[in-house]
Amino acid sequence: MDTADTRTGPSPLPLPAAAPRGGLHRFANPGRFLRLSGQVLPWLTAAAVLVLGIGLPWGLFFSPPDWQQGETVRILYVHVPMAWLAMGGYAGLALGSVLSLIWRHPLADLACRELSPVGALATALCLATGSLWGKPMWGTWWVWDARLTSVLVLFFLWLGHAALVRAFDDTERGARMGAILALIGAVNVPIVKFSVDWWNTLHQPASVTRLGAPGLHVDILYPLLTCGLGFTLAFAALVLARTRAAVMERRIRALQLAAARRAEAP
Amino acid sequence: MTRKSRRLWLLLLCALGLGSATALTLTAFQDNLVFFRSPSDIAREAPKPDRAFRLGGLVETGSVMRETAPDGKPEARFRVTDGAHGVAVTYIGVLPDLFREGQGVVTLGKLGPDGTFRASEVLARHDETYMPPEVADALKRSGHWNPNQGAAPPAATWNTLEPAPAQPRRGS
Amino acid sequence: MSLHWIHVTASYALVCGGFLILAIATISRHAAAKRRLAQLDPRASRRAQEPS
Repeated sequence: MDTADTRTGPSPLPLPAAAPRGGLHRFANPGRFLRLSGQVLPWLTAAAVLVLGIGLPWGLFFSPPDWQQGETVRILYVHVPMAWLAMGGYAGLALGSVLSLIWRHPLADLACRELSPVGALATALCLATGSLWGKPMWGTWWVWDARLTSVLVLFFLWLGHAALVRAFDDTERGARMGAILALIGAVNVPIVKFSVDWWNTLHQPASVTRLGAPGLHVDILYPLLTCGLGFTLAFAALVLARTRAAVMERRIRALQLAAARRAEAP
Repeated sequence: MTRKSRRLWLLLLCALGLGSATALTLTAFQDNLVFFRSPSDIAREAPKPDRAFRLGGLVETGSVMRETAPDGKPEARFRVTDGAHGVAVTYIGVLPDLFREGQGVVTLGKLGPDGTFRASEVLARHDETYMPPEVADALKRSGHWNPNQGAAPPAATWNTLEPAPAQPRRGS
Repeated sequence: MSLHWIHVTASYALVCGGFLILAIATISRHAAAKRRLAQLDPRASRRAQEPS
């Protein structure tokens, strides 16, 4: 694996790395990952910028106000995508942790490590925009109801994961500890999702549900879905670029170590 | 059994244990996880006197009376209902913008000996429907919905997934 | 600007600013790693032309 190449060009590289195994481990080869992700990343970034470039102005200027909330309803277009990313991203973290714990997939370790700070940012933004929305509408910045509290717990789980995987000198051990924490914390995801249905909360129930018509009028729904897609693409592009950087940094460390050993040798 | 499948089974067992433990804990603490109690809850099980709690429900139609308290602060009297039961509430202070008849509210306060709930805080609780003013007006005009009577009708009856008719927007 | 618009603007600014800062940090980190790697391992590009 150490001899992986980092070129991002299209030509196939002769990699004397571990013999390619089937299944998931096909993508464990860092050289192949860098090559493939290098081709995907520009497109992902361009798509994110394009979709957000349409969705954000649409929500801010070209969508109607709500009949009772007025212009404040526009916070929806940034708050709800952040909430989706906070939860969907955590589901991704749990999936990566399973890959990391059971299949010992080396790329899953790195991806989880790079995912958690981005997820923490999305969750923090979800809490902050929710607070900015709650003050004019509910009349309070914060209440300890089941939804808000469980999202705060989700934020601490993201932060805890980001800190824990970086707390060990042995990166593999850190990744394993982080994966265990992520999987224990995964019980919180259904609690966040269903808190508004299971208990009385100040937060209203979900508007966009799989069953039944959305409680959002289409003039509000379409810009929301556009922003949701745009932020999801941006989130994915950020995580992919961070994972690429981490793969390259690992390779740099290996090269530096090898150079130091050569210098020491008589 | 390979090491990989042993790890898989171990993880599944842990997930099962953790999941059931969480479910049991949440069921046990059900009462504490509830943010507010409804008038029916109060009728079923009267709260201890002088203990602050949150009361939530809809503001009953035609029950809102706004006065000025002796010290010059605005005072509001209204009833919070959940259909089956209602509780009279008094509140001195500024009500949130969204407060109106038919709107959901959550109030924090104490139940007096006369059965009146003296609120020290009133929060508005809106529902999960969002629609442009034109659509709301159309629903009101057609008699499908009176916001003072409660929540909007089910989304399936009005969300035709078509843009709102272009109408001159009222000034806000 | 009414209070409502202030809250809307603050929300948009927070979210766009947060993502933008993270994007800039990621781009610079990615570029630095790429540059350092090319510096440490110049053979990588040569190996592509003459398979070992």
